[in-house]
Amino acid sequence: MFRVIRQIWSNFKEYIVLVILLIASLVTISFNHKPEVKKIRAAAFGSFAVVSSVLSETFGIASIRSENAELRKMNAELMLQVSRLRQFAIENEELRSLVGLKDTASLPLIPAAIVSRSLIRTQGTVTLNAGNSDGVKPGMPVISGHGLLGIVYSTSENFSIVRTLQNTDLKLTVKNERSRVDAVMKWNGEDLIMVDVPKTYDVEPGDRIITSDLSSVVAVPLPVGVVIGFEKIETGIFNEVKVRPFADFLRAENVFVVGIVESIQKKDLELNFYNR
Amino acid sequence: MRSEYLWSILFFFPVLVVQTTFIPLISIGGIVPDLVLILLIFYTLRNYQLYGTVLGFVYGFLFDIITGSLLGSAMLSKTLAGFTAGYFATETKRDKYLRSYNFAFIVLLCAVIDLMVYSFFGPAEISRNILLLFFQQAMLPGLYTAVISLIVLIFIPGRRLF
Repeated sequence: MFRVIRQIWSNFKEYIVLVILLIASLVTISFNHKPEVKKIRAAAFGSFAVVSSVLSETFGIASIRSENAELRKMNAELMLQVSRLRQFAIENEELRSLVGLKDTASLPLIPAAIVSRSLIRTQGTVTLNAGNSDGVKPGMPVISGHGLLGIVYSTSENFSIVRTLQNTDLKLTVKNERSRVDAVMKWNGEDLIMVDVPKTYDVEPGDRIITSDLSSVVAVPLPVGVVIGFEKIETGIFNEVKVRPFADFLRAENVFVVGIVESIQKKDLELNFYNR
Repeated sequence: MRSEYLWSILFFFPVLVVQTTFIPLISIGGIVPDLVLILLIFYTLRNYQLYGTVLGFVYGFLFDIITGSLLGSAMLSKTLAGFTAGYFATETKRDKYLRSYNFAFIVLLCAVIDLMVYSFFGPAEISRNILLLFFQQAMLPGLYTAVISLIVLIFIPGRRLF
């Protein structure tokens, strides 16, 4: 008996090991959402990010000059915009105080730098050098100078992993800024698309897309992208709307984590409402 | 043999640091070469198929846990890549493969298998054009990885490229 087993092992050991390891890999996939696994991952990527952040800063110096020029230009444009918005803000503040609305304009921003990116573009994650100690929590939105970049997925003491908009697991409720049409947006492997938008809805190329206040992930209006076209226009009653994101996922280096997490109180309230 | 295992795992970490920091700077249209795969194939050709299969599994596990990708996805794809590379690690031919342009072809083949399997767990929708997906997510990064592996080959002593 043992001789037979030994013979099988010596003849087919590569295949036996392959099958065992493949089964182990498939079983591991089902453990992804366990809290213990999340803890181990946070510790592992936190330790690794310490090293990669040092190298990242070294390589980043080369690109600082061009980034500075771009930032100076953006600064000038923003300065003009700010002076215009300041007028609106004064007016808005007066009007809000008249009707007794709460102030939602100021959002805490936590500065961070991207210290490493996912190995493969389609993986859609980046690592930031800001973590629990800086006040970063899972669920917080991350913005670049241009718009929404992604959502914090996991944090360690000093680092955090962000799912960018190019991650298939990230689905956001967004809104057309002009026509106020809401839709769910996701990454399909090639483009950012708003799915199942009825053909009768008013959406035009060039419309700005922002995060919707209906979103259970980001409930403050953050710029996301601009409509560039439609898909599936021949068949069905729904369109897929293609969106070009404002944020540049490949070149973004310095970002801000918006220090807000969607209110648990609000979620509980909504769940209770639906449970009635 | 044991020290070879240890070195192959220790080498993984500096390679992954370079992969996640420097390599994005040389990306072409978002396509990046996979240095981890080159390292895996190099060690597989030196130490045969069983070693490559197990090492692929270990590399995949470390990769998944460190980079935040779906735990198990790279484990599966790198195990298959290591197993495939092992077919070229025969007693008579491994030196030939390790020290010539053939190495790049093995890298290309294994990279395509690795990336195809990995992309099943990625954001791509299978309902979309499968050929286009194969080209964008497996063939192009595979080719880039193969080209970079030729550069790596220069540092291997006793090489005969052609």
